[in-house]
Amino acid sequence: MLTVRGLSAGYDAVDVLHAVDITARAGELTVVLGANGSGKTTMFRTISGIVRPSAGSIDFDGRQLPDLSADSIVKAGLAHCPEGRHLFAKMPVEKNLMLGGYVRRRNRGRVRELLEHVYELFPILHDKRHQPAGTLSGGQQQMAAIGRSLMSDPSLLILDEPSMGLAPLVTAQVLDAVAQINRDGIGVLLAEQNAQTALRIGHHGFVLAEGRVVLSGTASELLDHPDVREAYLGV
Amino acid sequence: MTLFIQQLFDGLALGGVYCLAAIGLTLIFGVLRIPNLAHGTLYMLGAYVTYFFLVTVGVPYVAAIGLAAVVLAVIGVLLERIVFHPLRNAPHTHHMIAAVGAMFFFQAVAQAIWGADFRRMESPISGSVTILGAQISWQRIVIVVTAVIVLGLLTWFIKRSIHGQTIEAIEQDRTGSSLVGISPSRVSMLTFGLAAALATVAAGLVAPINLLAPTMGDALSLKVFAIIILGGLGSLPGAIVGGFTLALAEVMTSTYVSAAAGEGIAFVVIVLVLAIRPTGLFARAVQR
Repeated sequence: MLTVRGLSAGYDAVDVLHAVDITARAGELTVVLGANGSGKTTMFRTISGIVRPSAGSIDFDGRQLPDLSADSIVKAGLAHCPEGRHLFAKMPVEKNLMLGGYVRRRNRGRVRELLEHVYELFPILHDKRHQPAGTLSGGQQQMAAIGRSLMSDPSLLILDEPSMGLAPLVTAQVLDAVAQINRDGIGVLLAEQNAQTALRIGHHGFVLAEGRVVLSGTASELLDHPDVREAYLGV
Repeated sequence: MTLFIQQLFDGLALGGVYCLAAIGLTLIFGVLRIPNLAHGTLYMLGAYVTYFFLVTVGVPYVAAIGLAAVVLAVIGVLLERIVFHPLRNAPHTHHMIAAVGAMFFFQAVAQAIWGADFRRMESPISGSVTILGAQISWQRIVIVVTAVIVLGLLTWFIKRSIHGQTIEAIEQDRTGSSLVGISPSRVSMLTFGLAAALATVAAGLVAPINLLAPTMGDALSLKVFAIIILGGLGSLPGAIVGGFTLALAEVMTSTYVSAAAGEGIAFVVIVLVLAIRPTGLFARAVQR
């Protein structure tokens, strides 16, 4: 369970997030909606320790994440699959995945299991395991990035716009996989432009605007909310 | 023909030494994006520490190089922790100034301990063999063989072992590395330790052929920079090909043109590479 309270953060002393409160319950799929520049990515980067918060607390299963280094955060069970994927482009797919299991490297058996699990979820990655990650199509790269995050055996997976730049059919595939990951018991915190699809597979949701939470509720409440319908569903 | 074979072997031996020294520099550039101007002084210290173990302590030659490599790996890690780590978010010029400072410091230390005079390390491996009419000293054969073995082990480490792979991971994507839990600070230490150890192996191998002096790293420093510019900054194959190319060019020019031209050829090569192919022969992500 992730509880974010009064979180402010930004770059070079200019805050992008202003006192954000967000909760992602264990095992649930929580959706974060918001236009470009609303602070979703900054919030995720702060949670995973890449950006230091200027105020507020981030509690993850009883531990304060801002006190931990980025690698301890991964060890604690929080994986962040970033916007833009950040794969190791020149390394083969399988090496990318194995490096995803870096923090679990002492438990070889578990890493093997996780790798098999990722290949079950994304069979195409098994076919392309010897190819450099940078030569894959956009959708396959996204799958590789999600797979790499899963290799750290997380209890919460942060996915920052996994469908960005993908064709509609590929987007559907990727989001199906996200729903599957969640059904397998991994909590997901998902930022997504496809509000409708995301809310359909999600349990709870938050709407960010200009670095503040402006709306929150269950997924079905948000789906029916007039503001959400107008802003994100084009109704 | 005999002369040519002789020079070819000299070139290969020198190339092995250049490679080992250049790889450390290129790895540091790949991981930290800084030109470590103090690299030549790590090589110099490596030669002196090898000398210390071989002559003063009296351990066998190969063990002396191994022990010196361990000592220098520790010094490399300390250099990273004390000098470069605190500057990790500082502008680039600060790293260069710090590296020049470290360079003077190491030279002063070597001079304080061993004096400014040249020292000679007797070749522990004597004799030579005749190959195709050319007299090849065992020392040169040992250099080539050791260089090949060390390069093989290093390639295995970087490509196959999970700790070595973190070096390439950081080079290719810093954010991605952090997010899978690779600590940039640990990889920086590993890289510096490895670079210093490799420079020491290079120095220990060549020391019996050359003389030891606190300034012996200066000329090497310029040449290894030439090599990694030639090969492409941050590229491992580039450093290997560049090392052998430059060594052979140097030896052949010294023999067939003049010794002075041999010393200068490195810089002719740099100027040509920068003019024709500024990213180096094996260009990789040099742009940030």
